[in-house]
Amino acid sequence: MNATTTSPLLEVRDLCVDYDVGGALAWRRRALRVVRGISFTIAPGETYGLVGESGSGKSTTGRAILRLADVSAGTITFAGSDIVGLGRTAPLSYRGAVQAVYQDPVGSLNPRHRVGQAVTDALARHGVTDRTERRRRAAAAFEQVGLGTEHLTRLPSELSGGQLQRVAIARALVLSPRLVVCDEAVSALDLSTQAQILDLLRDRQAETGVSYLFITHDLGVVRHIAHQVGVLRAGELVEQGTTSRVLDAPSHEYTKKLLAASLSPHPAGRESRRAARIAARGGVAA
Amino acid sequence: MRTALRQPTALFAVVVVTVVVVVAIAAPLIAPYAPEAKDFTAPLSGPTAAHPLGTDDLGGDLLSQLIHAARTALLVAVGSVVVAMLIGVPLGLVLGYRGGWYDRIGSRGLDIADALPGLMIGFVVIAILGQGMAVLILAIGLVFCMNFARLTRAITLTERNKGYVESARVSGLNAPRILFSQVLPNLAGPLVVQAAVFLGSAIKVEAALSFLGLGLGDEQPSWGGMLGFATQHTADHPEMALAPGIAICVTVLAFSLLGDTINDTLSGSRMRRTKILGRVLLDGDGARSGSADAALPPASAGTDDGPVGPDTGSVEDSAGEPVLAVRHADIVADRPDGGVVRLVHDASLTVRRGEILGLLGESGSGKSMLAKAILGLLPAGVRLAGGAITLNGTELTDRSPAQLAALRGTGMGVVFQNPQANLSPVHTVGRQLTDVVRAHDATISKEAARSRAADLLDLVGVDDPERRLDQYPYQFSGGMAQRVAIAVALVGEPDLLILDEATSALDVTTQAQVLDLVLDLRDRLGMAVVNITHDLGVAAETCDRVTVLLRGEVVETGDVHTVFDHPRHEYTARLIAAHPGVDDDAPGLGTHDQRKVEHA
Amino acid sequence: MGKLIAYRLLFAVPQLLVIAVVVFSLTYLVPGSPAAAMLGAAATPESIAQVEAQMGLDRPAPERFAEWIGGLLTGDLGTSFRSGVPVAELLARHVPATLSVVAGGMLVALVLGVGAGVWTGTRPGTPGDRVVTGGTVLGLAVPEFWLGLLLTTLFAVQLGWVPIVAWTPLTDDPLGWARGIALPSITLGVTGGAMIARQTRAAVVASLAAPYTDTLTAAGVPRATIVARYGVKNALVPVLASAGVTLAILIGVSFVVEKVFSLPGLGSIMLSSVIAQDFPVVQGVVMVTAVLVIAVNLVLDICYGLINPQARPQ
Repeated sequence: MNATTTSPLLEVRDLCVDYDVGGALAWRRRALRVVRGISFTIAPGETYGLVGESGSGKSTTGRAILRLADVSAGTITFAGSDIVGLGRTAPLSYRGAVQAVYQDPVGSLNPRHRVGQAVTDALARHGVTDRTERRRRAAAAFEQVGLGTEHLTRLPSELSGGQLQRVAIARALVLSPRLVVCDEAVSALDLSTQAQILDLLRDRQAETGVSYLFITHDLGVVRHIAHQVGVLRAGELVEQGTTSRVLDAPSHEYTKKLLAASLSPHPAGRESRRAARIAARGGVAA
Repeated sequence: MRTALRQPTALFAVVVVTVVVVVAIAAPLIAPYAPEAKDFTAPLSGPTAAHPLGTDDLGGDLLSQLIHAARTALLVAVGSVVVAMLIGVPLGLVLGYRGGWYDRIGSRGLDIADALPGLMIGFVVIAILGQGMAVLILAIGLVFCMNFARLTRAITLTERNKGYVESARVSGLNAPRILFSQVLPNLAGPLVVQAAVFLGSAIKVEAALSFLGLGLGDEQPSWGGMLGFATQHTADHPEMALAPGIAICVTVLAFSLLGDTINDTLSGSRMRRTKILGRVLLDGDGARSGSADAALPPASAGTDDGPVGPDTGSVEDSAGEPVLAVRHADIVADRPDGGVVRLVHDASLTVRRGEILGLLGESGSGKSMLAKAILGLLPAGVRLAGGAITLNGTELTDRSPAQLAALRGTGMGVVFQNPQANLSPVHTVGRQLTDVVRAHDATISKEAARSRAADLLDLVGVDDPERRLDQYPYQFSGGMAQRVAIAVALVGEPDLLILDEATSALDVTTQAQVLDLVLDLRDRLGMAVVNITHDLGVAAETCDRVTVLLRGEVVETGDVHTVFDHPRHEYTARLIAAHPGVDDDAPGLGTHDQRKVEHA
Repeated sequence: MGKLIAYRLLFAVPQLLVIAVVVFSLTYLVPGSPAAAMLGAAATPESIAQVEAQMGLDRPAPERFAEWIGGLLTGDLGTSFRSGVPVAELLARHVPATLSVVAGGMLVALVLGVGAGVWTGTRPGTPGDRVVTGGTVLGLAVPEFWLGLLLTTLFAVQLGWVPIVAWTPLTDDPLGWARGIALPSITLGVTGGAMIARQTRAAVVASLAAPYTDTLTAAGVPRATIVARYGVKNALVPVLASAGVTLAILIGVSFVVEKVFSLPGLGSIMLSSVIAQDFPVVQGVVMVTAVLVIAVNLVLDICYGLINPQARPQ
C-alpha cells in the first residue's frame, strides 16, 4: 500500500460520529452512531474512494473531515496535526488546505451571486486583499477548469450543470488545497458530462498533487478515479485496499454483493450475471 | 415587472397603492377641509354638495377625514411592518442558522405564541402602555413579528443545508458573513412579498383597533374610527359605513395583490432563467474544456451515415403485432406568447409482447414527456402536436378523457422514479391496491379484493403480504415501495408496463433486485415493458431493444447487443465510451484516449 | 393513538405554564403601579400604598405567582380591580357567546373553505377557479367588522330578518340562539373560509399533480375516485396542520366582530378592561383563550394523527 511508504496526508483512526435522532420531545432524543470506528489513510497526490449505499455513513465521514460534523470518538490527523481537538472553529489554514465539492451543482452556488464571487469570496477570506489580484486569480482558476473569463459574471441559473460543477471545482482548487472532499461530485451529472468532470479532476491532480477523498455510490466512478478504495456498510469499513485488488478480487461478502449488483455497461454475458444474482439470493428470482 | 403589469390585477394593485400613497402625502392639499374643522350648521348632514360623504355629529366633513385617515393607515402600517421585521428577521435568522437547542426552544416559543390570537397581543400591549401612535405601531408590529420570524427561520433552515452555505463554511467564512452575504440575499424576495401582504394586514388590524376605540384618539382620523362612529348610525345613516369600509377593503386588497405581483415577478424571472438553463442543458454541456467537449452533431446527422432509420415499425415488427406503437410523435409545449417549444420531434418506437424496450436518453432528451404522452397524462400546456400512438392496434390519440380512462389500467401501468411519491402517503398500501382492484371489478367483495391485493404483493416479492397491507408507504424501504408501485401497476393485468427511471433512486443492490423482478414478471406474464432510463447499465442489463433519444429526437433504435457493440450514431458511441466502466484501466494511465470514440 | 394524545397533553402543560408566566409578569411591565392607574388623578402616595397592600401587590413576585397559579388551578382568577366581581364569574358569563360565535364561524369556514378549495383545486386555471379564487382574495381583504356592519345593516336593520340585539343563550331558546349567532358566524366564516380555501386549493392542486395520482390514473382508477379519496385526504393534511392557527385568528377577530353585533362575549370585557388597565380581567381573558386554543389544537392534532400516519409516535 502507498500509505505505508509515504507519510500520509490524512489519517483517520477509529472515527465515530453520532447523530441526534428521536422525537420532537427533548428527553426522547438519543444518539445514533452512523460512523462506527473507521480507519484509513490518504497519501499526498492520491485518491481514496469511499463507496457505500445510502445511509452507510460515507457523507458523514466527509463532513467530519471537513469539520462540519462533530466527532464522537477517534482521531483525524491532517499533515501530522490533530484536527479533532481544534475547538469550535477550525483555523483558517485548515479551511484553506481542505476543500469540498458537492453533489448538487445548482445548490452549491449561491443563486443570487455571480459565480465568480464564489471564488473571490474565498480568496478574500484567505488574505488576498487586492481586488484586481483576486479577479486575476479567479480568472486563472476558471481557465484551469475549462471555463472562460466571460463565465465569471454569470449567475448560476445561466450555466449548465457541468459548468456549475466546474465553478465548484474552481472554488475548491483556487486556495491550492492539499485535500478535496468530493461528495458524490459527479452523481447528478449526465453521463457524458460526468466523464469530463472526472477527467478534469484527474488532470488537476496530476498537475498539483492534490489528494481527493472521493465519496460515491458508483463503483464505475471509483474504478475510474480512485487509487485506494474503502467499502462502507452501516458505518463500518468492511474492506479496503488498492482499487484493483478490492474491485477485482474482493474478499468481503458485501463487496462481492455490491459488485454483483452493479450493472455492467454492456449487455454481453448478462444472462449469466442474472443467474448468479438469483443463485446468490438462494434461487429466488427477485 | 413590465410584463407583470399587463395583468389587470397587478395594474390595479400598483395604481391603488400609488393613489393611496399620494393621497396620504398630499392630504392637506387634497382634502376640502381640515380634519378637525367642524361645520356646526350641518351635523349629520348626509351627502350634500358641500359634504359629499356627509358630516359627523359635530359637523366634521367625512371626506376630509377619509383622506386624512389614509395618512394614519399608511404611517401605522409601514411603522408596524418595520418593527415586525426588525424583531422577526434577526430572530428567525438566529433560530434557522444556529439550529440545535436554540432552534428547538425558539420554535417551541413560536408554537406557544400561536396559541394566542395576534389581536390579543395587540390588546395586551395597549393595556400595558396605554394608547398612542408609538404604542399602536409597536402593538401591531408585535402581532406580525412572529410571522416574519417563522418565514425567516424556514428559509434560513433550507438555505443553510444547501451546498453553497456548506461550501462557504469550508472556505472559512464565519457565521455573520455567511448569514448576511450568503443567506440574506435569498431571503430578500420572500421578505418583500411578505412585507407587502402584511402592510395590508396591518391596515386591517389598525382599523380594527381604531374601530374598538383602542387606536389613536378621536382627533386623529382613521378609517376604523369612522366605521366605529358609523355603527351608531346604522339606522339613520347606513351610507356612512360604505366609504371607509371600501377604502380599507381596496387598500388591503391592493397590498395583497401587490405581494402576489412581486412574487410572480420574482418566480417568473426564475422560471425564465430555468428555461434558459433548460436550453443550455438541451444544447449539451457548453463548457469550453477543449478536450472532450467537442460540439455534438445535430441529432439528425446520423442519417447521413446510413440507415440509422427511425423505427417505423414496418420491417422489424414482422415477428408479431406490437403492443405499443408510437409513430412520428411530435410533442410541443405552448408558450404564453403563442409560440411553441418542441420537446419531442418525429419520435417512433414499437414494443411487442414479452419485450423490454429501453428508452435511453440524458436529462432534457424528452424521454419522460414521451412516456406521459403514451399514458395520455401530459401536463397542462404540453400536447401531442402530431403523430400516432396505438395500443394493441387501437389509436389512442384523439380520444376523449373518458375513453382514455377506460383503456388505461387494463392496457397500461406506470411506475415513476421516487418510490415514496408513487404511493399516497396517507393511505395504507392495502387501501391503494384494493381501490385499484375495485376500479377494475366493481362487484368484487371487500374480502376478495383484499386477498387479491395480498396475492399481488406476494407476486412482486413483498414478504408477509397480509400484515404489510395494513402499513403505510413510509413504513416501506425504497425498494419495497417500488415493488408495491409495480403491484399497483399490475392490478389490471396490463399489456404494457412503463417504468420511468423507476430504479434510478434506489441503491445498487436494491436496483438489481427490482430489475430482476421486472425481468421475472416479464417472463411470467409476458407483458411489454418500456424502461425509460438515463443509465446505460440499466439498458444493457435488462432491455431487449434500445431506442436512443437525443434532444427530443430518436437517433438510433436496435437490438441491445447491436447498439452496444456497433452503435450507428456518434452520440450513442460517445455515451457508451463515456461510461466510467468496469473495464477501465487504473487511473492515471492516460485513459483519455480510451474515451475517444472507438466505435463511430 | 393513546400515545399521541398523551404526548400532546404533556406538551400542553409547559405551553400553558409559559403563557401563565408571561401573562402574570404583564402587570410588572406597566409603567407605574396599577393601583395608581386605578385611583387616577386623585391618588396620594398613602392611598396607593393602601390599595397596593389590599391587592397584595407589595408582596414578592414568586409568592404572588405561586398564589396566582394556585388560584388558577382552583378556578380562582382574582377579582376585577374595577368592579370587584370575581374574574371567574365574569368569564363564565361571557365565554358562551364567544364560544358559540367562534364554533359557528369555524363551521362555516370549514364548509366554505374546504368546499371552495376542493372545487377550485380540481379545475385550476378555469374561469370558475379564477372567479372563486378571486373571491377568496377579496374575502381576506374585507375587514370583518365592516362585513358584519354591512350584514347587520342589511339583514337586521333594513330587512329585519334577524334581531338587532341578537344574543340569546342556547339553554334559553335554541332557535333564538341560532338566529342570534347566524350573522356573526357568517362574518367570521368568510375570513376563515378564505384562509382555508387558499390552503386547500394549493394542497389539492399539489396532490393531483403528485406521481401517485398519475400511477393510480394509469392503473385505471377513475378520476372521481382519485379526487374524492386521494386528493381530498392528502389535501386535508396541510389544512388540518394550520387549522389551529386559523382558529386562534378567528377568536381574535370575534373580539372585534362581537362589538358590531352587541354580543356579550369575551371581547366586550377585554375591551373595557384594556382601557381601564384592569389586569386581573385581562389576564383571565388571555388565559381562558389560551386554554381554549390549546384544547382545540389538541383535538386537531389527534385528527391530524388519524389522517397522517407519520404524525403518530412509533
